[in-house]
Amino acid sequence: MPKRLIAILALLVFLIGCSAGPREHKEKAINLPDPSQADLEGRLVLGLGGGVSVLNPILSTDTTSSAVEGTIFSGMTKVNEKLEIVPDLAKSWEVSPDGKTWTFALRRDVTWHDGHPFTAEDVVFTFNSILNPKINSVRRSDYIIDGEPIKFKALDKYTVQAVLPKPFAPFLVRSGMSIIPKHILSDKDINRAQFNRKPIGTGPFKFSKWVSGDHIKVVRNDDYYLGKPMLAEIIFKVIPDENARLVALEAGEIDEAGIPPKDYKRMKALDGINVFEFDALTYAYLGFNLANPKFADKRVRQALAYAINKDQLVKIIFKGLASPAYAPSAPVSWAYSDEVAKYPYDPDKARGLLKEAGVDKLEFTMLVNQGNKEREKAAIILQQQLKKVGVKAKIRVMEWSALLKIVNDPTPPKDFEAVVLGWSLGLDPDSFSIWHSSQYPRGFNFIDYDNPEVDRLLVLGRTTMDKNERKKIYAKIYKLVAFDQPYIFLWYPKAVVGVSERVGGLSKPGPAGLFLNIHKVFVTP
Amino acid sequence: MRKFVFRRLLQLIPLLIGVSLITFFVMHLAPGDPTALIADPSIDPVDLARIRANWGLDQPLIVQYFYWLGNVLRGDLGTSYLSGQPVLFEILERLPATLLLMIPSFIITLLITIPLGVLSAVRKNSFFDNIVTVLSFIGMATPSFWLGMMLMLLFAVDLGWLPAVGMTDPLLSGGWFVHMMDVIRHMILPLTTMTILSLAGITRYQRAAMLEVLDQDFIRVARAKGLPERVVVFKHALRNALIPIVTIMGLSLPALFGGAFIIETIFAWPGMGRLGVIAIFQRNYPLIMGIMLFSAILIMLGNLLADIGYALVDPRIRYGKK
Repeated sequence: MPKRLIAILALLVFLIGCSAGPREHKEKAINLPDPSQADLEGRLVLGLGGGVSVLNPILSTDTTSSAVEGTIFSGMTKVNEKLEIVPDLAKSWEVSPDGKTWTFALRRDVTWHDGHPFTAEDVVFTFNSILNPKINSVRRSDYIIDGEPIKFKALDKYTVQAVLPKPFAPFLVRSGMSIIPKHILSDKDINRAQFNRKPIGTGPFKFSKWVSGDHIKVVRNDDYYLGKPMLAEIIFKVIPDENARLVALEAGEIDEAGIPPKDYKRMKALDGINVFEFDALTYAYLGFNLANPKFADKRVRQALAYAINKDQLVKIIFKGLASPAYAPSAPVSWAYSDEVAKYPYDPDKARGLLKEAGVDKLEFTMLVNQGNKEREKAAIILQQQLKKVGVKAKIRVMEWSALLKIVNDPTPPKDFEAVVLGWSLGLDPDSFSIWHSSQYPRGFNFIDYDNPEVDRLLVLGRTTMDKNERKKIYAKIYKLVAFDQPYIFLWYPKAVVGVSERVGGLSKPGPAGLFLNIHKVFVTP
Repeated sequence: MRKFVFRRLLQLIPLLIGVSLITFFVMHLAPGDPTALIADPSIDPVDLARIRANWGLDQPLIVQYFYWLGNVLRGDLGTSYLSGQPVLFEILERLPATLLLMIPSFIITLLITIPLGVLSAVRKNSFFDNIVTVLSFIGMATPSFWLGMMLMLLFAVDLGWLPAVGMTDPLLSGGWFVHMMDVIRHMILPLTTMTILSLAGITRYQRAAMLEVLDQDFIRVARAKGLPERVVVFKHALRNALIPIVTIMGLSLPALFGGAFIIETIFAWPGMGRLGVIAIFQRNYPLIMGIMLFSAILIMLGNLLADIGYALVDPRIRYGKK
């Protein structure tokens, strides 16, 4: 009797499985609504991958918090679709010929969400709070150059001056820091303020409600200085599981979700959902601990680079949603240059170089962080590719904080041989913290890369103001670094985002995201 | 009885101190710290060191522990690192959603499993017993994330009957009744998933306990006296067979508070399980300690309640009398 029962149950399970099984995959064109169809009482629901910890831009460190903050707060400057820095709370700015004094002229028509006027005092208060060592802002050193803080001063009610100790090109990007209100926070402990749960900003949406772990609601700011937003409300719904987020998008409970490569084809064929793919400002790499004698010889690293078939790697893992990487930048960055040594796949050359370096047998362990499926898969493929040239690579999958603890260990020797990681890049190409020799061991140059010429160019790059000059400098840096192969650059991923067809007013797909001009985004009824 | 309860409550104090001491040091054995999560090339490690010091993490562990203990004795569970909010506030904020899911699940599970276990035992090796056994094992072997996802795809996407994720529909407007129905609709899928998966355990326990009791002499005596089978089973056997179940119920009490991480993650339910596990990933020490303290108190209270429960179901057990 139980046998028949088991058969029936197996059938049941199979049927449930089938109902959710593969469907037809047909490519579908992007279908955007026209602004004339906009529902002015419309509400947009965005999915968040994690809970929001704090809604104060000078304290938050996670992307989920900043996604919400982006709708509530604004900064003196902001980034546009072309990744250029453009005015926001500041109408215009000037830089003195020596590159040290920056003067920002602020808009006069801005009020905080509580009706209080916005002035230069708020800007000065924000930056001085960041510089206050008692306040737990990770951004403090952004405004300290060679140990000396930038001095912020209100010249009058609507003019802010920043005096830098020396010329510093990345300051332009950093001037976009969101501004917090002085009249509310000046006598409060910012680390623990109630404000961090009920923020007040100058942005297009006002904070309305926070249900911990469930959702956050912001509502239209009718007095927004760039015009009344088209959406009545935005709801940020926390859905921690990636698959559940996709299901919620399919079920129409949220209007947007990131799409992992495995679901790309299926989502692209779905009715009612537009799928956008665009380059992200990130790259993934296999980094070697150069302080370890195994990797001290450049030829060994170059040999390993020849042994890796990046095209195959990208094809297997990303199904076309990434491209092979060759330089420590990203194709969407204005400073990107691919005039670098590429070490095309050539196992014979790899074996030859290893022999030349006197290495008969190479064995090492690659660390990879648990939960990042792409990197875990990449480690396995790298292992197989390296095996073909006689190199034995072991994989150690580690929990994220445990892995970071090893690579960030401030006392060398750091206990790792190689690590598969990725960098998200800032808008400014300055990569001092990754490549400069002073950033080892306490810094993000945890692999101990040390090239005096690169050091010199990195300093030159951040102190040169002219964009074209800087572009040349960074091209040289990428060329030198790629030749040395302290990292084997692996891939530039594409971001893939699914958005409900009822959402319009999106910005051009790019690393700055689709909701860049959030006040122009609308939904149809 | 009163004396017994009072003595047990007094025992809580040294136990709690011991548990907190162990948790505190074990928690710090895990590599990394709350700032280690931030790997962003634009953030200077100098800033991270400064923030660590602001949080007091540069102090020796033993100093940190006594600092924490001192605050707790004054009724202050500390401040969560990342949000800057009081730990007690963060816990209490998540508690209602947790209990809303866990208590009904617990009650439904008991309502189904106890009769199921009893009937299985009474009709041992019958067709019914076999079905229950097979279903129990399937329930035990099914991964919660798979079952949750399948139910979600079926009922939320394909049929569109129920919402897929969350506890409420933030777009909904209406009175309290509309909102209550909305929460109930959101509860159905996570509740079903959880209940299906926990059915197996207690059913098996109840069946085993019942079988053991039914085999004893006094049951034979009861039957020999000519008592109706229903009275034998429910009055004589069940009451004795409930003792192990009471133990399990007592031990489940802290789980009611702790939530169910996987179910909460899949269904985006804002419960305690997610709060706790994420606090551990983030090495948010004050929050971990706060949740631990709550659970420890509940485990101890759960055990105490189980002990009192024994006395209620088993006439042979009485406390405080010699």
